[in-house]
Amino acid sequence: MSQIDTKAPQGHIEVNNFALSYETLDGSVAAVTDTEIHVKPGEFVSIVGPSGCGKSTLLNAVAGFLTPTKGTVTVDGELVKGPSAERGMVFQQYSLFPWKTVRENVEFGLKMRGMARSQRERAARTLLGLAGLEAFEKHYPDRLSGGMKQRVGIVRALATGPKVLLLDEPFGALDAQTRVIMQQILTNMWQRLKISVLFVTHDIDEAIFLSDRIYCMTARPGWIKAEIAIPLERPRQQSMMMSSEFLALRRGLMSLIREESLKAMGGEISDLGMQGLNIELHGHSLADVI
Amino acid sequence: MSIPAVARQQPEDETRVAAAKPVSTVEPAYQPIAIGTFAARWFRLNKGRIRAILIGAASLVVFLVVWHFLTKYRVVFFVRFTNVPSPLAVHESLTKAIHDPKFLMHILLSCRRILLGFSMAALVAVPLGLLMGRFKLIHEVIFPVAEVLRPIPAIAWVPMAIMLWPTNEQSIVFITFLGSFFPILVNTLHGMSLVDPVLVRAARCLGARETSIFREVYFPASLPHIFTGLTVGMGVAWVSLIAAEMISGQYGIGYFTWEAYSLVQYADIALGMIAIGVLGLTSRLLIRAAGRLVMPWGRA
Repeated sequence: MSQIDTKAPQGHIEVNNFALSYETLDGSVAAVTDTEIHVKPGEFVSIVGPSGCGKSTLLNAVAGFLTPTKGTVTVDGELVKGPSAERGMVFQQYSLFPWKTVRENVEFGLKMRGMARSQRERAARTLLGLAGLEAFEKHYPDRLSGGMKQRVGIVRALATGPKVLLLDEPFGALDAQTRVIMQQILTNMWQRLKISVLFVTHDIDEAIFLSDRIYCMTARPGWIKAEIAIPLERPRQQSMMMSSEFLALRRGLMSLIREESLKAMGGEISDLGMQGLNIELHGHSLADVI
Repeated sequence: MSIPAVARQQPEDETRVAAAKPVSTVEPAYQPIAIGTFAARWFRLNKGRIRAILIGAASLVVFLVVWHFLTKYRVVFFVRFTNVPSPLAVHESLTKAIHDPKFLMHILLSCRRILLGFSMAALVAVPLGLLMGRFKLIHEVIFPVAEVLRPIPAIAWVPMAIMLWPTNEQSIVFITFLGSFFPILVNTLHGMSLVDPVLVRAARCLGARETSIFREVYFPASLPHIFTGLTVGMGVAWVSLIAAEMISGQYGIGYFTWEAYSLVQYADIALGMIAIGVLGLTSRLLIRAAGRLVMPWGRA
């Protein structure tokens, strides 16, 4: 862990001129078009948007699971060609290996790297201790609660010391109380590790609470409609969610998202409720507008 | 038997019992538990199991009693019990057979054939199924052949097996092999098709390469289905073996049973049948035990 702390800032994600489409019998269907995003080293960036807007597609392209139809994805100037341990990923479905104990799950990435058993056992124990899970190291995942499973998932993704952490709606399956606790744990971990994070969610509160910046995506085909800086100070506390600053950001984002959700559902966009917020915001901070 | 092991098998029952009687089961943890209380609690948690065992035992006794009276009074009612041996006669021939090295040899030979045929089937079908599940080309090449051969019952192979193999022994083992081969292959394939792609992706972005993913994800993920295949395969192996022994054998428990009919030793027929049943049951339990050993994460 100390090794990660002393490293020069790394994990600069750049997605340039990005488009991704699927081939179907009716021709190609665009999932994501004309997208430019970047994450600076150590920055926490979220992508929000209605479900099916292609935000997960974008994240999977950064992870290396999907190849862009157009454009490039680079991390620290290196083109992403496939999945790698440099880009840790956390999935909504936890995706822990059911046949491995908690500790073996955390060890997995280190094992793949060829680390000796005793060494990786020690490393895994240390990490589990940090996440408050040392008592469960010998448990199999199906004995854990959802929150614990996802903590293991995050710890597992961090164990190899990745440059960036990608999270695909990681708390989507958790109950509201657990989710709040997990958000706090994630920000604490992030602040300690100074790792770049790209976080996909449809939960606006979650995005504002966690992020330095938020990209707001449109309904399919997805593109970045707005980019919002979150000037809330750090460390963030749950109490901030009641502050007027937070609520103003929330209101702004909410109307952006609602408009897109309506579009995604094929509904009519009413003028009411939008209050002129469907203006082109890209490049500007929403906090400046409202 | 320890309580956790029992409770693990019936998590639903356990929680239901605990939930239904909160007042009596939830006691302050710091109080020392008296032996009597402990026994009462154990009894309450395992009530379902005890009940099942008692009823099962009673039903077996009833079966024996009915069998006894059907044969005692030589009942003829559509089916004829005139020549059917009574349980006592079977017991008598069992006590005789136990001391007869020939009977033991029949059993050992059948077990040897099962062991050879079944383990060879497992050694071929499991890796083949894994490879077919992983590599499209192998699947495309082998699957059509497998689909054509699969519906042919192993017994239908008997004449062909006799032509193919130089000795009788080899052709019987071959029949046993064929019987268990396809269930194992099909279930392994099924297991491979159900591997959660998210787990494969998770392994990939933790730096796993193709061989590691195979070993660390596809194989353990398919294991529950592989063991289903082994259980089914073992059953079919016995079916095929007994049929092959009856047709072309000189030894083995299937031959023993058929020979008993030819020699008009009716009690031995039932004895042979019961031996086959016990052997089949034992082998299935062995596979299940092996499955638990290999898959400690499962609840089964």
